[in-house]
Amino acid sequence: MADLLTTVSVLFIVAGPFLLVANRFKLPTVPLLIVAGLFSGIFVQEELTLELAQYGIALLVFWFGVKTELDSVRTVLKDSEVATLAQIVVVGSLGIGLGLVLGIPFQESIYLGIAAALSSTIVGAFLLQKEMQRNVVRGRLGESIHFVQDLIAVILLLVLGAGTFELDPIATQLGYGVLFLIGAAFVNRYIFDLLGRLAGGSSELMIVGAVSILVLFIGAARLTEVSIIVGAFAAGLAIRHDRERHLDLFNGIESIKDFFVAIFFLTIGALVTLPTPETLLLAAGLVVLTAVVKPAVTTVVLIYQGYEARSATLTSLGIDQVSEFSLIIAIQALLLGALGQTVFDAIILAAAMTMITSSLSQRFDERIYQVLADRNLIVGRHSKIDASSRVPEGMAGHVIVVGYGRQGRKLVRACRSLDQACVVVENDPEVRQIVREECEAFVFGDAMDRYTWEKAQAGSAKLILSTVPYDPISKRILELGVDADVVLNATEVDTALDLMEEGALYVVVSDLLAGEQLVTYTQAIISGEMTPEELRSQQMAALPPKNSS
Amino acid sequence: MILTVDLAIILLSAALFGFLARQTRQPTIVGYIIAGVIIGPAVLGMVEVGTLTETISELGLAFLLFLLGIKMRLEEVRHVLAPVVKISIPQMLLVALAGGAIALALGFGGLEALIIALAVMYSSTAVVIKMLNDKDEATSLHGKIDVGILLVQDIVVVILLAVLAAGRPESLAEVAVTLAVVLGLVALISAAALLASRYALPVLFRRIADNRDVFFLISISWAFLFVLVSSEINVLLAPLGIEAYLSIEMGAFLAGLAIAQLPYSKELQERVNPLTDLFVMVFFVTVALDLEARELLFYWQEALITVLVLMPVKFIIFFLLIRWQKFDIETTFLGSITMIQVSEFGIILGVAAFAGGFVGEEVLGYLTLIALVTMAVSVYFIAHNHALYTRLAPFLERWQTEGTFEGGKKEYRDHAVVIGYDQVTRTVLPLLAEQYDDVVVVDRRVDHIKILKEEGYDAIYGDFRNATIRKDAALKRASFVLSSSIEVDVNQAVLREVSSDAVVFVEARQVHEARGLYDQGAHCVILSTRLAGDRLSAYLKAYLEDPDVFREATTADRELLTDLRPIPVIHERMVGDLHG
Repeated sequence: MADLLTTVSVLFIVAGPFLLVANRFKLPTVPLLIVAGLFSGIFVQEELTLELAQYGIALLVFWFGVKTELDSVRTVLKDSEVATLAQIVVVGSLGIGLGLVLGIPFQESIYLGIAAALSSTIVGAFLLQKEMQRNVVRGRLGESIHFVQDLIAVILLLVLGAGTFELDPIATQLGYGVLFLIGAAFVNRYIFDLLGRLAGGSSELMIVGAVSILVLFIGAARLTEVSIIVGAFAAGLAIRHDRERHLDLFNGIESIKDFFVAIFFLTIGALVTLPTPETLLLAAGLVVLTAVVKPAVTTVVLIYQGYEARSATLTSLGIDQVSEFSLIIAIQALLLGALGQTVFDAIILAAAMTMITSSLSQRFDERIYQVLADRNLIVGRHSKIDASSRVPEGMAGHVIVVGYGRQGRKLVRACRSLDQACVVVENDPEVRQIVREECEAFVFGDAMDRYTWEKAQAGSAKLILSTVPYDPISKRILELGVDADVVLNATEVDTALDLMEEGALYVVVSDLLAGEQLVTYTQAIISGEMTPEELRSQQMAALPPKNSS
Repeated sequence: MILTVDLAIILLSAALFGFLARQTRQPTIVGYIIAGVIIGPAVLGMVEVGTLTETISELGLAFLLFLLGIKMRLEEVRHVLAPVVKISIPQMLLVALAGGAIALALGFGGLEALIIALAVMYSSTAVVIKMLNDKDEATSLHGKIDVGILLVQDIVVVILLAVLAAGRPESLAEVAVTLAVVLGLVALISAAALLASRYALPVLFRRIADNRDVFFLISISWAFLFVLVSSEINVLLAPLGIEAYLSIEMGAFLAGLAIAQLPYSKELQERVNPLTDLFVMVFFVTVALDLEARELLFYWQEALITVLVLMPVKFIIFFLLIRWQKFDIETTFLGSITMIQVSEFGIILGVAAFAGGFVGEEVLGYLTLIALVTMAVSVYFIAHNHALYTRLAPFLERWQTEGTFEGGKKEYRDHAVVIGYDQVTRTVLPLLAEQYDDVVVVDRRVDHIKILKEEGYDAIYGDFRNATIRKDAALKRASFVLSSSIEVDVNQAVLREVSSDAVVFVEARQVHEARGLYDQGAHCVILSTRLAGDRLSAYLKAYLEDPDVFREATTADRELLTDLRPIPVIHERMVGDLHG
């Protein structure tokens, strides 16, 4: 058996128990893999695995390219979210400052800045799964912040791949970078479908074909002396297609990626040497910058941009970790000789630490926000709410509708048809404009926030209707202690029963309604009361017309 | 950053020849091997085997056997187990005898003939499984017989590889000792694997099965544990004064076998498959990398004769043996025609025999050539197996025995498939069970699978995005499909695959998604948030205008919520119909 195979075996076997720990405590796997790597460092000859780890890097970036939605690049760039760049600049500078203060040369301090500024998409996606599924503000916001940062990371890799900070080589690199993107577009447009046709439905060949494209792009990158990361990213863009139409292909690539990426994280852990006091000091500094300063700065930036305090804080708590791209940048620099072992070790240790602390801060995010808000550490909230809300003085007997999504709209319309006064509570900046146009009275604030309710004059309201199936908000409404009747939304039957127990007049469980509808239609079909085609046309006719959402 | 040029060349050439093979309807394996021949010293001499390629091809073998292990669900093959064992043991003996006889007749030496005999007795797992899967015949009766035989053959290969790994024996007694030690170790590790699969793994995997990443990586970690123990068994046993070797393939296979008995193996197959394909590809390319043209073609005439004689002989042996086990004539024919090629294990065995110093490189070339040609030719026979049978049926019928063997595992047809077990689908399951003979529920959560099985439904654990899972649920043959997944890609996969007369209910989150799904043929798209909106606004109107109606309706709803019977009485005033 080859030594390399022994090494890989040992890495994976050592990883096993750590993965179980990750699973037991619902932690992301990445930091645990790094820690497992730290421990297996004793058994492992790292030069051997470094090569495999590089495939992990290539595949990681490749995958990022595959998953990049060009549309979202456009919206993100158009959005004010680009102002989160401010956060990167501020935290990045602080990182560089930290290095300089501790006597690290400027060239190396830059890497500390990068490590502090960028956050991890993998960890973020793991922690924010639910929020993203529900499409709530902070899920979406966190996702796009991560995305912008990843793009910046790729550009940084392109620039730093030149191995120098002289302007000339950087310009050459950028030029090649553009060429690669053009190549990717060409392959995506013309070659991919040809490949699909030639593969004749064989997912094995499609995967082999995709890997070949990756190899070709990396080869081209090597020939032109561009960072292979850029080649891998371009290759990912070249392959990018409807996931649903090529399920087997992308599932396959994902498996291959997961395997090599695990080796990458394990190896990077194994590369860390026994830490010196200086390493530990640097790492501690980075942890503070990443886990405390970065979320603080981000919160400020987001509030300044017009997000209300809670969403801003919770979003910021979702990006308080070091990015896997920073690890790639660090390992590249280490290999190029641009980075010393001390700084490298500090970055890796800080990454593992913050990825773990991040899942803790995520778990207790509501509590952290409450503590900060109660101590008035997050200020300027009321004036913001006042400025962006419109509620007539002295309302009474009104209905308060929480959330202006599809349900919310319907409810407001129902109120209007009955001449019933109503106030909408919403906090998503994306629908702010629509709310302003369509509603007579609205509060633009967080439903978790007491002031929002004061503003909505909940004390004199007749009914509070929540369309948000989010338990903390439901509980918050019940705890307001107002006379109004409360009707809520829940995803689980048990929660619904609890909420009714606690005083809700009624709780809608949408899955239950769906179940009811399903039983009715199934019965209709089975009994022959209705043919499937009849059902289909009836259902299609019931959909709202295309131009309304 | 350095990436090996050799590996890049291997990957690219394999891709090129893989696509060429596909276009000429050859198995991809043949393309890979030819790629290896061409870039290797035999023709262009562009590539040498380095540490990395060697490791990856070793990984390929380990993963191939791990995957095979995962597929070996004892419960699925149990009912054909007895006939399969009765067929496969004499089959291997007879084919080996025939192969050995041919080799001797062609002038090979005794030891060479023995190795050749041992190498030609297996049929190709890669070719057969791949073709059967492509033709959707893996779970047909003849498919199961073939898979069963292949598995028995694989066990024999694994044992033989272990014997060969110990190197050239001095005497027959030494062979016997090696065999005994190997069998003892295999028995020991098998026992460990099966005990683990009985007691430790179910607990372990139940915990991790819901976590996609951890599940995959832990399984791989498990495989590597066995790989490492097998490969280092010599070091481990050295203090005891025992010298013994095991193949890493053996370890990987047993690791897979232990997982196979758990309900999560299907999902894992899907995850391990692409890695295996990729690594095995490298393996097949590297097989020929060590062969000079001279060695590969040294015995080309002998190889050609062997192919011409061996394929019909294999067919006849399989035919007689399967018929002997009282399978009907069609099953017998189809089961036999599939198995006429020489396996990639023949090459692997050849490599091991060459490494162990049993044979020269020319014999390895000869074996490679035979495997290559028989695999390529057999693909055509498998592709046209039914047409061939129809053509030959009048002639074959004189051998018709009374087919007494009934296929065991039920094949779903005109059944209901339900994707996702939740509050939405739960209510409708009893209704479906009443109407359809089989209701198959696919879910990604272990506790759900348990509940479903307890309630008597057929439950499959896995992600419906995976082709294997869809095939297992026989989606193509279902007549009612209900998906409570709100993932558009899952629902689109469903709509693409179902037959045109199936009724399809799916769920969606957004109206525009629903519209797309209707366009693709869904009969009903449930938009639960929209339902909630309708219900809320109806209730709001009632609340404001007619509090009594509101109170009545919400009381009824409250009762419904507390009612945990599967089909609660449906609310009289359905969604939004509060006022008629």
